[in-house]
Amino acid sequence: MSESTIFKNLKNMPSTHLLGTGTPMCAGCGGLEALHEVYDILGEKTVFVNAAGCMTLLSVYPFTPFRGGWLYTAMASAPAGAQGVRDALDILKARGTISDDEDMQVVVLTGDGSAYGMGLSATSGAMERDLDFIYLCYDNEGYGNTGQQFSGATPHGAKTATSTGSHGYPGYKKPLFDIWAAHRPAYVATVIGAEPLDLARKIEKARTMKGPRMIIALSPCPTGWSYDPKETAHIGQLAVKSGVWPLKEFIDGKVVHTRVPSKRVPVEEYLKLQGRYKHLFEPQRNEKLIAEIQARVDAYWESVE
Amino acid sequence: MYRIRFHGRGGQGMKTASRILGSAFFLQGYEVQDAPRYGAERRGAPIFAFVRADKAPINERGIIVKPDLIIVADDTLVPVPAAGVMGGADEHTILLINSHTDVAEWQGRLNYPGPIVVLPAPEEVTDRAEMPFVGALCAGAAAALCHVINRDSLQQAIEQELGHLGSEILKKNRQRALHAFDLIRETRTEVVEGIVADATAWHAPEWIELPFDDARTAAPVIHAADNTDALKTGSWRTMRPVIDYQRCNKCWWVCSTFCPDGAIAVEEGTPVIDYDHCKGCLVCVAQCPPHAIEAVAEHTAAAEEKKS
Amino acid sequence: MTRRLMTGNAAAAWGARLAEVDYIPAFPITPQTEIIESLSEWIDREEMPGRMVTLESEHSMITAAGSAAATGVRVFSATSSQGLLYAMEMLYTVSGWRAPFVLANVSRGLASPITLEPDHNDILAARDSGFLQIHCATCQEVLDSTLIAYKLAEDPRVRLPVIVNLDGFYLSFTREPVTLPEQEKVRDFLPPFDAENMMFRASSPESQAVAVLGGGPYSYFRYETHLAAQNALAVYDEIADEFEQHFGRRHDALESYRCEDAEYLFVMMGSFATKAKEAVDRLRDAGWAIGLVRPRLLRPLPREALQRVLCNRSAVAVVDQNLSMGMGGVLHSEVTSVLYGQPNAPLLASFIGGLGGRDIPSEEFFQIATVLRDAVKQGSAPPPRLLYTGNELREVRNLQAIAKVERTELERDRGEKDDE
Repeated sequence: MSESTIFKNLKNMPSTHLLGTGTPMCAGCGGLEALHEVYDILGEKTVFVNAAGCMTLLSVYPFTPFRGGWLYTAMASAPAGAQGVRDALDILKARGTISDDEDMQVVVLTGDGSAYGMGLSATSGAMERDLDFIYLCYDNEGYGNTGQQFSGATPHGAKTATSTGSHGYPGYKKPLFDIWAAHRPAYVATVIGAEPLDLARKIEKARTMKGPRMIIALSPCPTGWSYDPKETAHIGQLAVKSGVWPLKEFIDGKVVHTRVPSKRVPVEEYLKLQGRYKHLFEPQRNEKLIAEIQARVDAYWESVE
Repeated sequence: MYRIRFHGRGGQGMKTASRILGSAFFLQGYEVQDAPRYGAERRGAPIFAFVRADKAPINERGIIVKPDLIIVADDTLVPVPAAGVMGGADEHTILLINSHTDVAEWQGRLNYPGPIVVLPAPEEVTDRAEMPFVGALCAGAAAALCHVINRDSLQQAIEQELGHLGSEILKKNRQRALHAFDLIRETRTEVVEGIVADATAWHAPEWIELPFDDARTAAPVIHAADNTDALKTGSWRTMRPVIDYQRCNKCWWVCSTFCPDGAIAVEEGTPVIDYDHCKGCLVCVAQCPPHAIEAVAEHTAAAEEKKS
Repeated sequence: MTRRLMTGNAAAAWGARLAEVDYIPAFPITPQTEIIESLSEWIDREEMPGRMVTLESEHSMITAAGSAAATGVRVFSATSSQGLLYAMEMLYTVSGWRAPFVLANVSRGLASPITLEPDHNDILAARDSGFLQIHCATCQEVLDSTLIAYKLAEDPRVRLPVIVNLDGFYLSFTREPVTLPEQEKVRDFLPPFDAENMMFRASSPESQAVAVLGGGPYSYFRYETHLAAQNALAVYDEIADEFEQHFGRRHDALESYRCEDAEYLFVMMGSFATKAKEAVDRLRDAGWAIGLVRPRLLRPLPREALQRVLCNRSAVAVVDQNLSMGMGGVLHSEVTSVLYGQPNAPLLASFIGGLGGRDIPSEEFFQIATVLRDAVKQGSAPPPRLLYTGNELREVRNLQAIAKVERTELERDRGEKDDE
């Protein structure tokens, strides 16, 4: 499938953009970077069903950056909202009330707070019902809209507004990709705005498929991760090069890595740019914790290679 | 009652400024209210905070409509309508601007009814992992204008509010705040407490009977498409990316794709930055392969723009 | 037109079927389950078109219902009790979307403690949600109200979701003769849903249910929803006339039974009101000038109709099958507010009865009438009363003894253990 993609190389990337400017997302928002890349590929005939999160503020009356549809639901039930919209469109099409041209791609747009936690039951339900939809989680590894408290997506050791101690967040990032893949949906993929070609190929693939198509976009967050906003793409690229964020897809029952870093950059390179890991390096280096984070990344890649 | 409003950008420490000033008043024996105003604001976006202080218990609440003192932490906010910096100001309201421009220039530029005081601004920092933190500085300047706050109370208030950030940060901020305090005291300008509302003479609100509109009108539905461009988020910017077209290698996708806001379009192979909407994150500066995009401080860029 | 025995649950299902609903998001809960089972069976047997989908919770169910209505199809759903509460966030949310659909709620007492028996605290928790509420007393009313509810919900002057409420067990599982209207006639009464300019189509951009900034726009949207709910009173009256013309049955917003010359009135909602009706007949036989007032519409509340029927009476007893902790009966509070400052307002007495399906026998209604008469003699309203007897408390005491809740027993047991 990847052979037939229209995104053979970077020359195929769109250079004008569908998503409107003037939104209230933070300067340097990695989630918005991913969303505008995704929207260029999905196109105007898209209705976003949104769960409570940063991006709820994309559409604030009377302004919207979207050219198609948008529906805000609640934090827990965006996939159920997608179910209602999808089913209603199918009913209207079957009845001949609307033509196929009037149909829209239904896309859940949600942050990690909902995706990894409160919304997980509704997401599981939608996959179980084989709902024909795309699910896009912008994952900034914490409850960003409320000031970056830890969520089920927060990585081990990261400082958040509710894990301020010297060891950061004691838990581990929930393996949402695996939880989703265990449902055997049509498609699961990880992407990142900083790797736009990989993202474009996956979104293009998802766009042309049927059934639940589940996407997690790691979304570097200057506000929540505490770094200079200009580093958003750089940090995203390091997340991939260090192996912290494996780019992969689950399709036909198999997990395939779409980008295997030939020589992984030490995770330290990724961590040290972010204020949320500052306590690993200052006032003195926490060798143990840095080594543990490195070891977990190494163990992951050993398990898949 | 003192009614004081701080205007700044998300991340500049306006909430902290209001708390330092609030604590300083409290230490002087005042009843105090301090609060930030949150909304859909983001780092870099205009926000405000306020302080009320009185010898008697305070019953007023919420937004300060008629301030005695307005502190502007970031002078690029002054012309931004959404920031509402000069809202409710009259002849008695002092406008304190943290700026590179002097008082005479501001007086010439603004049709402002009251006294203007300028606090010389520090240069923009190049590493913006943290926004230039001017909270303590602004609080120090504000305290100086309210003659009832002494230097000791200001120091103590800073220790209370910033102590948890560690001695280095505390020291730096205390130094800045006291410097601002001393500098502004020299201007001998003094905040005058505003008058309370007068129940013998007031403008009656123009109440109406809300007419019924049917759901086609009265549901929170936007029928327009792609109209957020009316919101000029370019006003968030403190640093501006400027393309050197001599060096641009016309790759045509890097800056345009990585720009989170989609504020760079490529027209006939040439990237063009939409400054009305560029928030100044500078991802393009960091990503441009031939380093053809330079970051320029917004006030410098704006001044040069004016010249040409 | 056929008349047949059916349960309240079946009547609700028939209402949805005759309304030719397109979409049914569902989630099972006792005692509502039969509604969705009936609909599911009809759809499986291809006796009715429409699509049913079982969600993973009532919260999701109401989300899907609102979303589908917001996309322009006719939607029905049903729940009960804890399910309604679990969906509560979305009740408030989707009414604000102005997404019209009908939700049947089978009233059941709320935990804790857990019960399956009916009372009205579940539905009253949704009182301020923006959903309109129709409360039914018979199985026929359940069917008829479902049809009326669609016409009311979809009217451009209203455009709000509506809950049709029926009591668990007393209606849900009780069979009564119900007249089934003919499909053609229903179609004539209730034309297809026109979503007007609110729906998702590729050809027209639409961002629904967006955030607002500031109290000004927020107040506007909220108050407009209130104005729409208030409009529903006049619209309801029109629809009740039309319904009567089509089907020969009349369902007013406020039912008044034998009120013409009544000195005393009972005020009650739901199926227990038919018990009060029976008591009214017996009391009338015994020479009492007494009647029953039953609000079918609780939201919008028919204020003026209530004032007209309640004023110029000697005394009124509100029997609430619900309890607002720290305040008392909810309907009593509503009636009090309706009567405040009215000339010739009656003495008002509050009774709590029927919690968790606890029966209200005729004798209690007779006794309430007597309390009213004594109150009038004394010229002051009696204190609120829970309908509860000494026998009932004795039974609870027995249960408590078995549950060993008494401290003395606990201590004695401990003592015995120590002795061992």
